[in-house]
Amino acid sequence: MKLALPSPRLPAAVGWRDHAIGASMALAYVGWLLTGARALGFPRDEGVYFRAGADYIRWYRTLFERGADALHQGTIDSMWGMNHEHPALMKTLFGASWFLFHEKWHVFSDASTAFRLPGMAMGGLALWVTYLFGARAFSRTAGAIAAVLLALMPRVFFHAHLACFDVPIMTMWTLCVYVHWRAQERRSLGWAIAAGIVYGLTLETKHNAWMLPAVLVPHALFVHRHAILRGLRAGRLAIPSSLVSMAILGPAVFLSLWPYLWNDTLGRVQWYVNFHLNHEYYNIEYLGRNYFGPPSPKSDVPVMILATVPTVTIALFLVGVFERARASGRRLWAWVRRELRCNVPDPPARDPRETDLLLALSFAVAVGPFFLSKTPIFGATKHWLPAYPVLALIAGRGFELVRGAMHRALPDLDPRRRLAANVALVVCVVAAPLAVTWHSHPFGLSTYVPLVGGTAGGADLGLNRQFWGYTTQSAAAEYLNIKAPRGAGVFILDTTWDAWARMQEEGRVRSDLRAVGAPSDGLFALVQHELHMNEVDYDIWIADGTDAPAYVVTHDGVPIVSVYKKP
Amino acid sequence: MPVVGLVELVAHVAQTRPAAADADWNAARDYVAAHAKPEDLVAFAPRWADPLGRMHFGPALAAIEREARADETRFPRALEVSIRGAHLPAFGGWRRAGERSFGGVTVTTWENPEPAHVLSDLVSMIDPQHARVTRGDADCTFVHGAPSSGGLGFGLAIPGDRFACPGGAFVGMSVVPDLDYLPHRCVYAPPTGGQTTRIRFLDVRFGASLHGHHALYVEAERDRRGAPVALTFRSGDTLLGTVEHKDGDGWKPFELDTGALAGQHGELLVEVGSSGDRRMYCFEADTR
Repeated sequence: MKLALPSPRLPAAVGWRDHAIGASMALAYVGWLLTGARALGFPRDEGVYFRAGADYIRWYRTLFERGADALHQGTIDSMWGMNHEHPALMKTLFGASWFLFHEKWHVFSDASTAFRLPGMAMGGLALWVTYLFGARAFSRTAGAIAAVLLALMPRVFFHAHLACFDVPIMTMWTLCVYVHWRAQERRSLGWAIAAGIVYGLTLETKHNAWMLPAVLVPHALFVHRHAILRGLRAGRLAIPSSLVSMAILGPAVFLSLWPYLWNDTLGRVQWYVNFHLNHEYYNIEYLGRNYFGPPSPKSDVPVMILATVPTVTIALFLVGVFERARASGRRLWAWVRRELRCNVPDPPARDPRETDLLLALSFAVAVGPFFLSKTPIFGATKHWLPAYPVLALIAGRGFELVRGAMHRALPDLDPRRRLAANVALVVCVVAAPLAVTWHSHPFGLSTYVPLVGGTAGGADLGLNRQFWGYTTQSAAAEYLNIKAPRGAGVFILDTTWDAWARMQEEGRVRSDLRAVGAPSDGLFALVQHELHMNEVDYDIWIADGTDAPAYVVTHDGVPIVSVYKKP
Repeated sequence: MPVVGLVELVAHVAQTRPAAADADWNAARDYVAAHAKPEDLVAFAPRWADPLGRMHFGPALAAIEREARADETRFPRALEVSIRGAHLPAFGGWRRAGERSFGGVTVTTWENPEPAHVLSDLVSMIDPQHARVTRGDADCTFVHGAPSSGGLGFGLAIPGDRFACPGGAFVGMSVVPDLDYLPHRCVYAPPTGGQTTRIRFLDVRFGASLHGHHALYVEAERDRRGAPVALTFRSGDTLLGTVEHKDGDGWKPFELDTGALAGQHGELLVEVGSSGDRRMYCFEADTR
């Protein structure tokens, strides 16, 4: 009797097996992120979100334990007042994860890892959604390569470790675009409702979601243009159901998950909107100059993308863009000729989902504001992360085209050799992004791709090396924990007291060391190298009477943190 | 496309190796220690490598006087310690007199074609042996205290050794970060309360010119909202000149003609005044 092994071939239609593939990629990524969590210190913002998350969960516990008491404005404001300039979804998840996985079930010994888990899960979810999107839009290969290339962007990898909102909004933005796209395709009530709920969750993740209508509305109107025009001619306005759902369910979900807005709703929403429309300009170094405010340099987005996204990914993206633009151009030309009543014997096939338009809008709207001179640029690349899944998707399409070209160039390969050629191509495309991303940790913000000379090349160009003071942990690991005398005072500069205390609590920094608020108050002083930190560097020279650091933390030979010791 | 990926991988491997090992830096340090004269400049290139240079070379070779120089004009020679083939633009017009490599570190010797001969350096004279300070009608006494410093936004460090004036004003040597965040050693003399601070340098050797620079702490002048600061130089009854620093000027050079006093010794009175309050102002000057 012969045993027949199940065929490894997947059915043509994308289905549950693809969810399994996406979920596996997500799990593998989260696993990788978890292994590196302890090497990464705490950025300024994280400390605030840790505390806010714990407060929010305290409110939910109050709600379950004392019911109506939790609904009094005083109770709500006392527990939801912290960091009310950002919506609550991620902080609530951070807090829930901390409560369940650290406090209750002791899955993670570090509270910070439990706080960070939802952010990491969002990083994994981004791969899952990107894979599905690519598999449905182009092919499984394109989807898989897109997900891998997204995972292997050093800045995405860095931010995916954190209990912050930048990777979550990248994920939710992409999920929202994906669900919207599926809703246009399926045209069912279920998908329309899903679009509304997901948009609400995206609004509840970060304010980038305010820009999503600029992606989704024109796309939906274009997809449904014939029906809308027919309706208008008949005297009725036919609005796509997904847009109606987003307009109704979106704000409802947004408000329902953020108790802080339940009282004085209009005033508080107004304050939230105004906070971000008039956001303070934090400073950042770009091409050797410190930008403290407008006008922001218009070259920031392209230069920073070229300098931080692996070049092979960009190259594949350009291949994909060229092909998709050519296809769209052909279609546009055919339309023009049809409108001009020219003969168009063989018009190109139309994608009823208008995927190219949707991806182009998603990318353009995600990066567009950063070309405006009034938009602050202090986040380096993190504020336009929502553009990266599209970049990866088009790169995945580019990979598919390159693979096709390879097959055409090598037509006589037997199946075994063809498989080997495919594997070699994948290795060639993935190896450099993997090596750069792997090597970047924990200095993801200092890392620049080989195209600009790596970390040292970034320093040569005067590109920002870090922010948020998170590298203090590296200074502790490499020097302070080993060399500092017992009870020594350490001036921690850009690191927050919260972050320092947590590093001590989790045994990352020796618990006897004391953080101090001025260089002259401690035996040691740290300078996390950013251009504007130089002013403190020079103060230390006067305070200590020496300009020679006792130790310098470096990444690829580039100074990251100087540690001064009083002579 | 595979080539792009492979080139990127190879470049990554090459770039992630530090440009210089500790042993290279130490060998370069020993060479510089053996060859640098006190009047020589020791500088590191590129600028971002400066912390590494200071750590390996120590405060004697990488002295604050060299690191926080006003400019390069006074140095007859420079030993430029560089990695990655970098050079400082300041030596563009200098003559390359030699080069030694120590692994990844290169020491280039540059000769200044027209070094200035400094007669008196006012920043080095801001002590009770060489200077007296008054603010308004009150004398400022020299104190040996603890330096004060802080985090971002604190301003220049307040030196421990300083002339302390009534009302909290002071004069002392500090290092100002200019608009480009470069360090400059200078006399920190913040005008306060609209009163003029007068610094009398007791025994200055005059030459053909009085050469200097002035600036405000970067955070104090980058928004261009403060009142200007005037710096006046007098010798006896002779007004040598007044220079004004406006916000946004950065590390601004000035040069006053002192040809009539050349070869003489005497007092030099420096007046610092501004209609603004607590302007974090710093200047340096020398006679040459």
